[in-house]
Amino acid sequence: MASPHFKITGLKVAVEDKEIVKGLDLEIRGGEIHAIMGPNGTGKSTLASALMGHPAYEVTGGQVTLDGQDVLDMAVDERARAGLFLAMQYPAEVPGVSNANFIRTALNARLGEGNEIPVIKFHRQLQEKMKSLNIDPSFAERYLNEGFSGGEKKRNEILQMSMLNPRIVILDEIDSGLDIDALKIVAKAVNDLRSPDVGFLIITHYQRLLEYIVPDFVHVMMQGRIVRSGGRELAQKLEANGYDWLKQELGIEDETVGAEA
Amino acid sequence: MTQELSTVQSWLQEQAKAHAEPEWLRQMRERAWEAFQNAPVVRLEKTDLSRRTWDVVPPAVAAVAETGAEAGQLIQSLTEQSDAYVYVRDGQVVQVRVPADWSETGVIVADLHSAAQQHADLVQQYLGQVVSVEESKWSALNAAVWQSGLFVYVPRRVSVPGTVHYVVEDTGSGVGIAPRALVIADAESRLAFAEVHISSGDKPSGPVRSHVLEVIAKSGAQVTVVTNHAFHAGPTNFSTSRARVENDASVDWVFTDVGDGFTVGIVESDLVGSGSRSTVRALGLGYGRQHLDLTASMLHRGKYSISDIVMHGVLRGRANSIYRSSTHIFKHAVGAGSEQHDRMLVLDGTARADAIPMLLIDENDVQRCGHAASVGRIDESQIYYLMSRGISKSEAMRMIIWGHLQPTVDAIPSEAVRTLVRSRVDEELSE
Ligand SMILES: Nc1ncnc2c1ncn2[C@@H]1O[C@H](COP(=O)(O)OP(=O)(O)O)[C@@H](O)[C@H]1O
Ligand SMILES: [Mg+2]
Repeated sequence: MASPHFKITGLKVAVEDKEIVKGLDLEIRGGEIHAIMGPNGTGKSTLASALMGHPAYEVTGGQVTLDGQDVLDMAVDERARAGLFLAMQYPAEVPGVSNANFIRTALNARLGEGNEIPVIKFHRQLQEKMKSLNIDPSFAERYLNEGFSGGEKKRNEILQMSMLNPRIVILDEIDSGLDIDALKIVAKAVNDLRSPDVGFLIITHYQRLLEYIVPDFVHVMMQGRIVRSGGRELAQKLEANGYDWLKQELGIEDETVGAEA
Repeated sequence: MTQELSTVQSWLQEQAKAHAEPEWLRQMRERAWEAFQNAPVVRLEKTDLSRRTWDVVPPAVAAVAETGAEAGQLIQSLTEQSDAYVYVRDGQVVQVRVPADWSETGVIVADLHSAAQQHADLVQQYLGQVVSVEESKWSALNAAVWQSGLFVYVPRRVSVPGTVHYVVEDTGSGVGIAPRALVIADAESRLAFAEVHISSGDKPSGPVRSHVLEVIAKSGAQVTVVTNHAFHAGPTNFSTSRARVENDASVDWVFTDVGDGFTVGIVESDLVGSGSRSTVRALGLGYGRQHLDLTASMLHRGKYSISDIVMHGVLRGRANSIYRSSTHIFKHAVGAGSEQHDRMLVLDGTARADAIPMLLIDENDVQRCGHAASVGRIDESQIYYLMSRGISKSEAMRMIIWGHLQPTVDAIPSEAVRTLVRSRVDEELSE
């Protein structure tokens, strides 16, 4: 499949009639890794959820396209089948549905009718990926996220990413709640997937993760907008000096959404 | 009225003659018929019985019907998995099958009429002991008119190698109103028993039906009892299933109901023995104008008796279901403990579910008695999550509903019955 081209133009998102994302532009091509950094409450998860199509997030303006196709016009499942993948900050728990059954159903939906993966091949692949992510084999038959620790949920998101052949990957705070070993494993999974066929958007408020996944572009989000973009040195500068210098330069007192005006 | 009464009574007399019923059984039926006639129509808290009819209509002539597709498939699978079954259709015993290698264990699987002759002592001693003739209008009805019943006896220390099935088919052309099973598991035996009710005709027969299941688990016995209903609109269905659980014995119930019928049911364990244990796992999928008033009840009389009730309901259309879980810990049941978990999924705005936890505790010295009940729609965040991986909305909902029901289906010991319940649920969910 051709290298993806994901384009966000002037995106505005409201939650419960309150505008949270206020005109955001971003372009991601296959092979690129973009990082969005920013303190808590600046609209990062809102952006991610709106891109995936979460029903609570209403897009009030702008466009999003993948290879020229209107993403905003697609239902959540169509976006996923087009290649969009969001590793969620707080994934849901689904009792009674086994992890393996869920991932297989998802993969088959992605592959399309008539191209389903043979069961044995699927299980072999799943076990391999689980092994490389240092996940216990029993994980496959456990109910989807039910009773998982925070770290287990994050690893499960990464397992799905590795299994589902996404084209645009959005990771929302995948590093929170992970110890350094788990963080390295997650970073390795991302780096393994890195290719001209996949573009990444990595949301984090620490630069720690970006030591292991080296971004091509770093964007800072405040008050629902991208307020500064740069290369990886921007992340390093934020790590060393915090956000205050940037807020000062921009004349922002409170960076969270809704604090302005 | 008198004329109708005599019609039923003369039909019962014919039946008694045809099956050479012993005198004590005839008397029991007569007493029961009287009790049925005299019992008032009780007021149930959540079910209005005042406009339901109680006419008992004996079948005109011996019904001749074909085995329906569902029953045929089940019987074939049971034969293939070489299990025991008694297959009855429209109140007549069609087939009794007990695998040859079971006979040396001394296990008895027989129709209740023959058992009343060949094992008269046991049947006379226990019939009506656990579900008494007089306890309700519908228990009296069953005791008066039951036909094609089932008798199971497992001797001491015997472990039954498979599952015993009671397959009750109603094609709509017979009376088929009163199946009855008596199951006795002697000390330290093990038994899995499954009842399957099948409605294969367009219309169920008779305006009122009453099912009775009596289970006796003697000391140290371990019994699993599965009851599968698929009641359809039309008649009033009563279902009374009760087990007496003696010292250190256990009874695990799995109850499933997939249908649109009008049903009042109870699944109850009388935990008379100390150290006795019982669980109920119930699954209900109601649609159409279903009315299900289901009670899962634990009577803790024995010391250190333990129970657990888990009920999962799914409601569609205009279904209206009441899931009551009731635990009663009697005085002197020291150290008893119980848990209740009820969770109902309401799929359509027109459907209604009540989850009613009831806890009566007369003894101070008890272990934890917990309960949790919830009624709600499918969680939107679960649907979103599955869809975000490419799964369509309808498939996502199907998976979530199945996730809700699956653990109960998995608890059914017989593969053939699991398959049947799975296809009943699938068929209804794919509508
Ligand atoms: N589902 C929601 N319901 C109500 N408010 C929300 C919801 N999601 C986000 N918000 C609001 O949007 C703002 C930004 O939140 P979020 O996008 O989660 O920020 P970040 O991910 O950058 O920490 C916050 O004020 C938050 O309260
Ligand atoms: Mg966030």
